[in-house]
Amino acid sequence: MEKLILIFISTILINNVVLSYFLGICPFLGVSGKMESALGMGMAVTFVMTLATSISWLIYYLVLERFGLIFLEYIVFILVIASLVQIVEMFIRKYSTNLYQSLGIYLPLITSNCAILGVALFMVVKDYSFLEAVVFGFSGGLGFCLVIVIMAGIREELEFANIPKIFKGAPLTLITAGILALIFMGFSGLGGG
Amino acid sequence: MSKVISATIIFGLIGLAFSLLLAFLNRKLKVPENPKVKEILNILPGLNCGACGFSSCKAYAQAIVKDPSKIKSCRPGGSQVDEKIAKTLGKKENIEQQKKMVVVCVCGAEAKDKKSTHHYHGLENCQSAHIIGGAIDCVYGCLGFGDCQEVCPADAITIKNKKVYIDQKKCFLCGKCIKACPRNLFKMIPAQGLGNYFIACSNKDRLKEVKDACSRGCIACGICTKVEGSPYELVDNLSQINYNEVENKKPLEEGKSRCPTKCIDSF
Repeated sequence: MEKLILIFISTILINNVVLSYFLGICPFLGVSGKMESALGMGMAVTFVMTLATSISWLIYYLVLERFGLIFLEYIVFILVIASLVQIVEMFIRKYSTNLYQSLGIYLPLITSNCAILGVALFMVVKDYSFLEAVVFGFSGGLGFCLVIVIMAGIREELEFANIPKIFKGAPLTLITAGILALIFMGFSGLGGG
Repeated sequence: MSKVISATIIFGLIGLAFSLLLAFLNRKLKVPENPKVKEILNILPGLNCGACGFSSCKAYAQAIVKDPSKIKSCRPGGSQVDEKIAKTLGKKENIEQQKKMVVVCVCGAEAKDKKSTHHYHGLENCQSAHIIGGAIDCVYGCLGFGDCQEVCPADAITIKNKKVYIDQKKCFLCGKCIKACPRNLFKMIPAQGLGNYFIACSNKDRLKEVKDACSRGCIACGICTKVEGSPYELVDNLSQINYNEVENKKPLEEGKSRCPTKCIDSF
């Protein structure tokens, strides 16, 4: 139990996928303009990441390892992620047209979101049990969600700020992301090591 | 060899399982699309120019199927397309005729007219040159690096001797050049049917400053405003045409021919 909590907290704050592993930067910068779509994106990534990690664990240990086909892990994980994204897209298109339009191209881009494949591969490297892997996937997604929502909050406020013209758009977004990463580095002493 | 076979079988099975699941969900979660969207999409020019304020022709089509009051914002298509769309949507009201407009560039100076007391070695685009004060002395005039030429989806803009020429036959008024020009030189003026007169200068300085920067600038002498029945007027040291008062060609042409710096243009 203690280990689960440790994984949960450290994955969200200390080893945040976006800010300390540089994974999933593309949607992090692309969809963080509006709070509503950022939250939707965060939720979608959390959902896909949790499911992808769990299903990848099952396939990896129950199928691939048993038949000695560990070398297939990348392509199988990608297959799992791509299918899940497709399913999520179908659900969102059906039940929330607004969210579907505001996510736009970034929704299918979750397929190649390195954060999700990264978390699935870390799960193997770190030799997690099934429960740990599920918690790891879920907290990885929550970490992404947290960061993208913070970013969206800041960027929405910045819309009203009087900033120099040359900083507008991408430069300011990247600077904001850098400062956020600095701040998250402050958590690195949290685990006592 | 057995590894190859087992890998193929296992991967095939996993793939098959997922594709069956996807096929099943696709049938379950299908979203019916309004057939009118497709019909309207066929009528629209399909340039995705964005002049209507929507990101693409498809977005515009979807928006007007939902709310027909938004018709009449397709500038490339003009009123013909608007009418066709209204017919498809079964809207009976008379669609208001779009007023014919033309886009002009209000800097008529060529390379030899524009004076420059310095050499510009920065990036070869207007945006960069504008930030540091420009490659030419005139702070209002065309920098001539062709940012407008690049964004024009119709290839209507050509630049010769650092002067912009707009092919009015190709231009469909998407307005992209208006946004792209850092010096706001593109203006939309009402087509007059008398030869489209406009002031090809946007320099708001006084005589000496203008003369120092450019030999074709408007020096605010006011000669054009003194022509009989003149639609010209001076605002901020710059001549302007009051298009609401234009009735015939004569005072326009006379103002043009009397202009000492030849900064009134027409086509």
